[in-house]
Amino acid sequence: MTILATRNLGKRYGSKVGVEDVNLNVEPATIFGFLGPNGAGKTTAIRLLLGFLRPTSGEARILGRDCWRESHRIKRDVGYLAGDVRLYPWLTVRRALPILEGARRQALTSAGMALAERFQLDPDKTVRKMSRGMRQKLGLILALAHESKLIVLDEPTSGLDPLMQLSLADLLRERAANGSTIFFSSHTLNEVEQLCDRVAIVRDGHIVTDEPLDDLRRRARRRVEVRFQTEEAASTIVPPTHLDIVRRDKDRWYAEFDGEAGPLTGWLGTQPVRDFLIGPPDLETIFRAFYRNKDGSS
Amino acid sequence: MRGVLLKIVRETWLGTLLFSVALLLVEVMLTLVLPQILDQMDVMLERMPFMRDFVAALLGIDIEGEITAQLMQAFVWVHPTVMTLLWANETMFCTRFPAGEIDRGTIDVLLALPVSRRTIYLCETIGWLAGGALMIGAGAIGYTIGSQMMPLENRPEFGLVLRILFNLYCVYFAVGGVTFLISSLSERRGRAVFTVFAIVVASFLANFLAQFWSPAQSLAFVSVLEYYQPASILRTGSLASGDVAVLLLVGGLTWLAGCEITARRNICTT
Repeated sequence: MTILATRNLGKRYGSKVGVEDVNLNVEPATIFGFLGPNGAGKTTAIRLLLGFLRPTSGEARILGRDCWRESHRIKRDVGYLAGDVRLYPWLTVRRALPILEGARRQALTSAGMALAERFQLDPDKTVRKMSRGMRQKLGLILALAHESKLIVLDEPTSGLDPLMQLSLADLLRERAANGSTIFFSSHTLNEVEQLCDRVAIVRDGHIVTDEPLDDLRRRARRRVEVRFQTEEAASTIVPPTHLDIVRRDKDRWYAEFDGEAGPLTGWLGTQPVRDFLIGPPDLETIFRAFYRNKDGSS
Repeated sequence: MRGVLLKIVRETWLGTLLFSVALLLVEVMLTLVLPQILDQMDVMLERMPFMRDFVAALLGIDIEGEITAQLMQAFVWVHPTVMTLLWANETMFCTRFPAGEIDRGTIDVLLALPVSRRTIYLCETIGWLAGGALMIGAGAIGYTIGSQMMPLENRPEFGLVLRILFNLYCVYFAVGGVTFLISSLSERRGRAVFTVFAIVVASFLANFLAQFWSPAQSLAFVSVLEYYQPASILRTGSLASGDVAVLLLVGGLTWLAGCEITARRNICTT
């Protein structure tokens, strides 16, 4: 069963496109990365999923329910952290939990306090005295205190220090291992690459790709640096067809290639090579290509 | 629903309590100074006949002959300070959701809860109505305390006071309903408050001017105070059911419209 599905989902503001023809299918217990530059339409798509905005075309469903019409029913099984979370100035962890319990009709105090301890957040500190990172932690506690089938996080690491980002990543992996689905929106490739099973990239309100990260890795180019025994060898040897030379510099080649490394290492073994270095799949290049606008600008 | 009510109580109890205490004190003071005003009223009206029009305008009735001590009790319930306190708290309350929540960006947290927008609206309504009952109740207590200093024959009977309080609560309901509607159409709380303030001031002026400026009389029906008649209740002993019906209808329809708009509108905080 698909946890989250959208069909030709669109939101227009007059002539301006928020998002258009968004088709997503998110499977259970996966960590789904939703990647795109600022202003690409990530938050608009999330607000459509949460029922804050009414779609102008298409539909979105979570757990089989319509996201606009049955929004409040869906939220029983959804935890949500807004991007740039803003909270009530008087709120503390200890004051928030009874409100959360009353609204969700679940005992959440112990789970919430455990999260506060994990995030090292003082449960009695009010929002007005909190730093940006602390507010983010409180927002995460509100989103994660209950056991939910789907957790929607809009740029959840903003404001968190690197250690806390790792702690959050561990927590999300645990939740996914326990069956929760994570919808993780970000504009940072690195955190999506480390955490997610699948990624959709959004640009100018459109989904430009939606595929497993492993598939992207397979498609991604790798960088190679080859050092020949002599400068003459470096200048006369003809490279194999699958290797694109980016630059030659004295006895070295700086090149890129697609696919598996085996054929290349076999070929290099037959050449007068002193040393070579093959890098990991370069997802950044592939993502940059997706980010790039039609006119070639980033 | 319990969680949302808990949040509303936490956010509003202090403001409502302070406004209620203020209203109580104002009622005590107004009721205490009333006999002194009464003593000088007849002399003042003789010297300055135009004052009769002003008094009539404030009370919302035509004054023929002597202004009785009992009729003057209406001042306590139409005094601008009383109305200002009541409407100020009401305006702050009824613009909290959705305008206030959108304005400060906290609506994302609120709507992340498994509670429908209509339920949140209903919870805010419960808080608003309870707050109004508390404030008007505090005003009534203040009036009761103050009137202990009044000669017994000048005190209106309790039933008349209850009718005035009910009429006042209907005014509170009508103004609140309109405020909820304006809030449902707004994304900035300040703008919503200003709009309500402008409507209320215009309403007050329309009612006041209509008493002694004939061109304004044709517009008097749009004023909420046209349907609030404590002086008339004290004079006739009865509460005009037509006034109550208009106030409840205006309040009810605008409240309902606000509820539906809130439930169906796009919520965008960025």
